[in-house]
Amino acid sequence: MDTLSTLISAILVAGLYATMSYGLALIYGVLKIVNLANAGFLMIGAYATWWMWTAFGFNPLLAPLVIVPVFFLIGIAMERTMIQRVVDQEPIISLLLLFGVWLVLQNVAYLLFTGDTRSITIPLTDAVYQRGDIVIPWARVYVFAVGTLALVAMQLFLTRTQLGRAIRSIAQDRDAARLVGIDVKRVNAIAFGLGIALLGLGGSLLSLLYSFDPDFGRTLTLKSFCIVVLGGLESFVGVAFGSIALALAEAFGLRYMPASLQNLISFVLLVVVLIAFPKGIAGLLRRRSGV
Amino acid sequence: MSRVQVAGPLIAAAALLCAVAVPFAFPHAEYVLDVLFLIFLYGAMSAAWNIIGGFAGQISFGHAAFLGVGAYATMILWGEGWSPWATLPVAGGLAAIFSILVGVPSFRLRGPYFSIATIGIGEATRLVALNWSKLTGGASGLTMAAGPPPQIQYLSALAVCVAAFGISWWIVQSRFGFALAAIKQDTDAAQTLGVDTTLFKTLALALSAALVGIAGSIYAMHYLYVSPDSVFGFSTAIALVIMPIIGGVGTVWGPLIGAVVYTFIREQFAVKLANADLLAFGLLLVAIVLFEPKGIVGAWGSVMARRAFRKRAAGVAARG
Amino acid sequence: MAVADVSLQVFAGEIVGLIGPNGAGKSTLFKVIAGIDRPTSGAVEFNGNPIAGKRADRVCRLGVASTHQLVRPFPYMSVLENVMVGAFFGRVPRPHSPRAAREIAFEALQFCGLEGRAGDAARMLTLAGRKRLEIARALATGPVVVLLDEVLAGLNPTETDRTLELMRAIVARGVTIVIVEHNLRAVRGLCSRIAVMAQGRKIADGDPATVLADANVIAAYLGTAPQ
Repeated sequence: MDTLSTLISAILVAGLYATMSYGLALIYGVLKIVNLANAGFLMIGAYATWWMWTAFGFNPLLAPLVIVPVFFLIGIAMERTMIQRVVDQEPIISLLLLFGVWLVLQNVAYLLFTGDTRSITIPLTDAVYQRGDIVIPWARVYVFAVGTLALVAMQLFLTRTQLGRAIRSIAQDRDAARLVGIDVKRVNAIAFGLGIALLGLGGSLLSLLYSFDPDFGRTLTLKSFCIVVLGGLESFVGVAFGSIALALAEAFGLRYMPASLQNLISFVLLVVVLIAFPKGIAGLLRRRSGV
Repeated sequence: MSRVQVAGPLIAAAALLCAVAVPFAFPHAEYVLDVLFLIFLYGAMSAAWNIIGGFAGQISFGHAAFLGVGAYATMILWGEGWSPWATLPVAGGLAAIFSILVGVPSFRLRGPYFSIATIGIGEATRLVALNWSKLTGGASGLTMAAGPPPQIQYLSALAVCVAAFGISWWIVQSRFGFALAAIKQDTDAAQTLGVDTTLFKTLALALSAALVGIAGSIYAMHYLYVSPDSVFGFSTAIALVIMPIIGGVGTVWGPLIGAVVYTFIREQFAVKLANADLLAFGLLLVAIVLFEPKGIVGAWGSVMARRAFRKRAAGVAARG
Repeated sequence: MAVADVSLQVFAGEIVGLIGPNGAGKSTLFKVIAGIDRPTSGAVEFNGNPIAGKRADRVCRLGVASTHQLVRPFPYMSVLENVMVGAFFGRVPRPHSPRAAREIAFEALQFCGLEGRAGDAARMLTLAGRKRLEIARALATGPVVVLLDEVLAGLNPTETDRTLELMRAIVARGVTIVIVEHNLRAVRGLCSRIAVMAQGRKIADGDPATVLADANVIAAYLGTAPQ
């Protein structure tokens, strides 16, 4: 039954990973840039939750209600002031820009909060569901539920609303979308805002499960990347698949190797996938031009 | 970034002569020696990164891995009784071999994805060093009691620096450099014109790693202490990227200018407030990307170009 | 885009035109020959040697040069330097020095009428100039066969005529040309043979007059059933 526990736990974590990675996927899909500041925003989301809790006693479970809109606005502001200027240049430029942003976020956090590890402890943190040998922490269930809700909401937004469809058209063919009259600039800003909002949500949820410090997001960015390589950037399904694959690998890997090596798993998986599928998964590794 | 105007060889030779003379002219100016040592060492590392990141356009955020391999190789062998200088070629060689092992699969990835993979490489190397305690001493790292005298260290840093920049200068004029430039500007087109892009990228990476590995050796000899966080840490990796970009990525001398700026900022900020220097670098990076992607060298170039343009325009106006 | 069933032979000294409606798979075929894409089945032979699946740079050095549909000069190099890449890396035997490569490149530029722009930044060229630069680059690799992908697209009549002259000069030098084109009039006047592709298959192959009058070919372009 221990296996079942691990399995369920892994699936719950997968939901969280998917939430984190979806932001990466959305921003890349629409703006065609890789958000290296992924980690930074996750980390700030976690710190924001923690800070509201320690400073105002604000219930961390409700934090997303504040964080999501705030991060959305921050994302739009960023897009308007910085991202817009680099969107059409070589990918290296946006990469370096966002790397710089990450550095700034990380070190502002160091200055404001110091490098001490923080964590959030509320009654939910230790509550578990226990039946026989199966142990499932309620916190993980909560995180999974909220994460999945968010993703379903995103998916509905993308498929059922006009704005969502505009986003998807730009992701498919930016020039064609422009020709049909879609205001690409405006949609870019919204997509970026949504991506950042998802990261804030992810970070907030993460703060319920893990302790963190300003260096927090880095390993997670790597995992997001691994997920995206495994599952493909093209769709929610791809991200979900990649998340589950990674979460399972990690959960079962934990049984055979020391915890400190756990993060190596995502990297090893990445290398294995790259070597086993040299032609790549989907259009991610090779950009084929033309007909 | 096809051709770079190189400062007159005379100026370079004169500067080199002065640099070599310093420890003999001022044998007790410890602080000056130390600062110059750092500038030369960082300059070497920065130039080394620039070979793969600037010339070939493959931005690596994991170069700390190669630095660390070199540093650890030296520390370990030194501890076994080797002369530290004898470990230099081993350090460089191991770093190069390691870079080939991780580079070849990673080069299947394009642009930003390659860069992200390098983050993974850096992180994975750090984790391995952390856990392979028998070899690396784990989290506590390795130490040595005493190293070479500061004057010798200074000269060795200068030597690596000269080597790194000499190689960079050669590359820019060589067939090899042409291949890297083509790869950087349009990998697919380069491939169809006969450039074996994977081979050249791997060569550039191996060369870069070897130089950084040797710099890592000298680093170890200077600080007499290596640990997973100090050499494989992300702040080291960041430094290796920041310096060439500030100075002028893809140019020959940009990395040196970047090393000077980096050393200066670190000395000024890190002492006062931890992490303030990294914050400054982050802001600097954002500013550079948004306003002058070619760094300080680029800004200088723009100023020069505008002057030349104005002169030409004035000439045309006069004639017309 | 699939190329389902194509069998094409090219003989030395020919100018073969490859035409067909959009989406027929012409560019894909070129990419497979050039080594940019891998075929899932079938073979590509050059001078009797199989080259299918070989890397693009190897194919180039073996003597098969190709140009892109979307002209992409190396943006930060001069016109001359662009061509030097071809001379340096695609040519066998390798030029032994930068100067040798420069001479070869300059000669290719002269052949294509671009020698006056040698020092200019490549991205400053007009479309016609860029197309000729693509050709010069390919020529600098010393090819036996050149695959030209829509090299006349977007050119005005004068530029088109100049390019046609250039292509005849290339063939006169002993280089074989296979050209993908939409400009049927140009193709009729230029090519010794025309092959037609539609929906991934070859549907005609022969001398220009016959092929262009073929009902199936006309139908493929116009989309109606053959009479």
